[in-house]
Amino acid sequence: MYKLALLLVLALMVVPPFLVAGDPPDKPITGVNVQILGPQKLGPLPPVVAPPDNPQTTLKILLGKQLYFDTRLSKDNTVSCATCHNPAMGWSDAGPTSAGINGQRGGRRAPPVSNAAYLPLQFWDGRAPTLEEQAKGPIQNPIEMGNTHQVMIKTVSDIPGYVEEFKHVFGTPAPTVDQVAQAIAAFERTVVTTDSPFDRHVKGDETALTSQEKAGLEIFNGKGHCTACHWGPNFTDGRFHNIGVKQQDPGKPDLGRYEITKDPADKGAFKTPTVRDAGLRPPYLHDGSEKTLESLVEFYNRGGDTDDPNLDPLIVPLGLTQDEKSALVAFMKHAMTSTNPEVANVKPIPPSELPK
Amino acid sequence: MRTFRVSIAFLFVALFLVPTTSKSIPAFARKYGFNCNMCHTAYTKLNDFGQRYRDNGYQIPGQAGGEKTVFETPPPIALRTTTGLSVYSDTSGGTTAGFNIFGLDFLAAGVLHKNISFLLIYTPRIDEPGSDYTGANPAQPGGMESAALVFSNIVRDALDIRVGRFEPAYHPFSSKRKYNIFAPYEVYTFTTPNNGFVFDDNQIGIEATGHVAGGFKYGAGVVNGSGANPDLNAAKDFYANLFQTFGKGDGQSAGQRIGAFGYYGWQPTKPGTVIAPTGETNGKENKPFYRWGADASLNYEMLNLALLFMGGSDDKALNPFDSTAKYSYTGGFAELNWAGLLDNRMVVSLMYNWVSPPSNDLARQVNAYSALLRYYLGDWSAVNVAIHAEYTFRKTGKDNPLKEHQFALILDFDF
Repeated sequence: MYKLALLLVLALMVVPPFLVAGDPPDKPITGVNVQILGPQKLGPLPPVVAPPDNPQTTLKILLGKQLYFDTRLSKDNTVSCATCHNPAMGWSDAGPTSAGINGQRGGRRAPPVSNAAYLPLQFWDGRAPTLEEQAKGPIQNPIEMGNTHQVMIKTVSDIPGYVEEFKHVFGTPAPTVDQVAQAIAAFERTVVTTDSPFDRHVKGDETALTSQEKAGLEIFNGKGHCTACHWGPNFTDGRFHNIGVKQQDPGKPDLGRYEITKDPADKGAFKTPTVRDAGLRPPYLHDGSEKTLESLVEFYNRGGDTDDPNLDPLIVPLGLTQDEKSALVAFMKHAMTSTNPEVANVKPIPPSELPK
Repeated sequence: MRTFRVSIAFLFVALFLVPTTSKSIPAFARKYGFNCNMCHTAYTKLNDFGQRYRDNGYQIPGQAGGEKTVFETPPPIALRTTTGLSVYSDTSGGTTAGFNIFGLDFLAAGVLHKNISFLLIYTPRIDEPGSDYTGANPAQPGGMESAALVFSNIVRDALDIRVGRFEPAYHPFSSKRKYNIFAPYEVYTFTTPNNGFVFDDNQIGIEATGHVAGGFKYGAGVVNGSGANPDLNAAKDFYANLFQTFGKGDGQSAGQRIGAFGYYGWQPTKPGTVIAPTGETNGKENKPFYRWGADASLNYEMLNLALLFMGGSDDKALNPFDSTAKYSYTGGFAELNWAGLLDNRMVVSLMYNWVSPPSNDLARQVNAYSALLRYYLGDWSAVNVAIHAEYTFRKTGKDNPLKEHQFALILDFDF
């Protein structure tokens, strides 16, 4: 009996690990190591730090803003950055996924540009390590702006007003793709939302949040498990999670981060978006499949929509009551909405005011 | 024989009066800035997230890397104490009532290095006012309840190792993290006559645990089996438990869970001749004993039903009543918990416990009924105060049983 018991225990200690697939190796894909960022507390956003090779200057930011709103960067002069990252729509669009040239629709929703300056990796799958790299992508994406970098640069170089501005900003005779990206990134680093009721609340304004919103914050940071991923001043860990979103087309699944890393653990994982200003940009999730914050909370409350074996262990049914769900929605919809005018009041630059 | 029975009765009254300790660790909440019920349905009961956090070596599950170590965070120290009024009466007549400090725990826990963490729980000796004037019967004996290192994700999710003194995995339901402060899981604390093993005790040894695909969890370990006491034989005890979960969640606060567990140990029947500097002896003529059981944790919205059935059997050499038969008993409990109001501020719990010893030891048969109400004050950051009211009716023995009533109204403070 003794030997039998010993055998059973040893078997249980040794065998189960071999029943699972091998541990995939860590594969840092980009120059940015997202793992260095540990859990951080909720709070106000710190100042943005620009990379040393692209310092912020007033003229560069202005140039970037003009390029951001200029549809001439696209193949058919119909799509600008702002088409999908519209300041009036929380720096995203009406969704559910984004439309590019000729009305083509991609499979994913436009991530917000606001506060993207704080993210360690860009795009839903993190394929770009910097805002500069991100800015180059959509220009030559066939279903977004549909252009090529060469044609885009020729277009910009043929506009004397731009040539003059690039000369002032960068001191070179002709614009380059990198300079276009640097200017756009410089503008995007100014799109920081810092004056939400939540920000005023954490700075000590006792009246900034309603009692329901305070309850929502409590749930956000506790029973709702939201801060397990939406942590820190930007309300995102900047990491990638499979939260149980059903594939829109199971025949052509969107595997998210896996497409970049090829790590099976990343299948179906997408970057955690910021919650700041979430109320301004329905619908939600990477594919825009949840139309409202209310339905988004229901999604999390039931523990996602799939039994994907790759489902993140952070995702469990929450057991929220109706009052708790309402409080959580109130917090996200109102308490996280910025009112700082330099961001909220950014208006598109009309074509007539763009360089000629 | 009468002295023996009086001693046993005294022991169980003492067990009944001394509250079982239970734990939550605000140091973790402070580390992340999380509210307590990120990990607890309401402290001290873990929810699924909290259970996964514990299983993952006190690292956030699903967040590979990036955990701050104890060297990068505020001191990872927490304490918990309970104080208030308790009223006790039994069939011997009369009632006692008194204000007491029922327990004090110091906890430290954290990550030392990626996938290496520790948990330490120290319970200091409390003499006043629960002790007699000799100090021989402290309200709380001092001791190191837990001191363990956890090596997690040796194989991702599938193999974690605990070494030291820890709460063993063969406890399907944690007696350290249940809502009841005074009523124990009776079948956990039931001791057989000539056996020093207490199922409820934390144990010293090594344990492997893990999750395998498909909702299967396992645990297996090798321990002294003597709790906090020196081991009195050189033979080690073994155990294993298996869980299967259904639906989303781990059955702690969502989904459903069934499980089975077994423990096989050895108890010396003759004293040893060698005494180690650390107190162990090489007790002789070891005789086997085992414990086994099955459990289920069922959830519906904010209701949780915990069911456990357990059996135990000691070798006939350990049976003082009948040297020709094993000492065998069964027992278990059913516990229904509900957490409600905004953010689970209120908890209601009902529990039934029973232990059925063999027919020649029916004086130790137990039936106990408990009810409690907890209400949490303040905010849900890392400080918690709960008002806790708990009542237990406990009946010991079959014929002419001892009937006990205990009511307590206390503050449960956690920082």
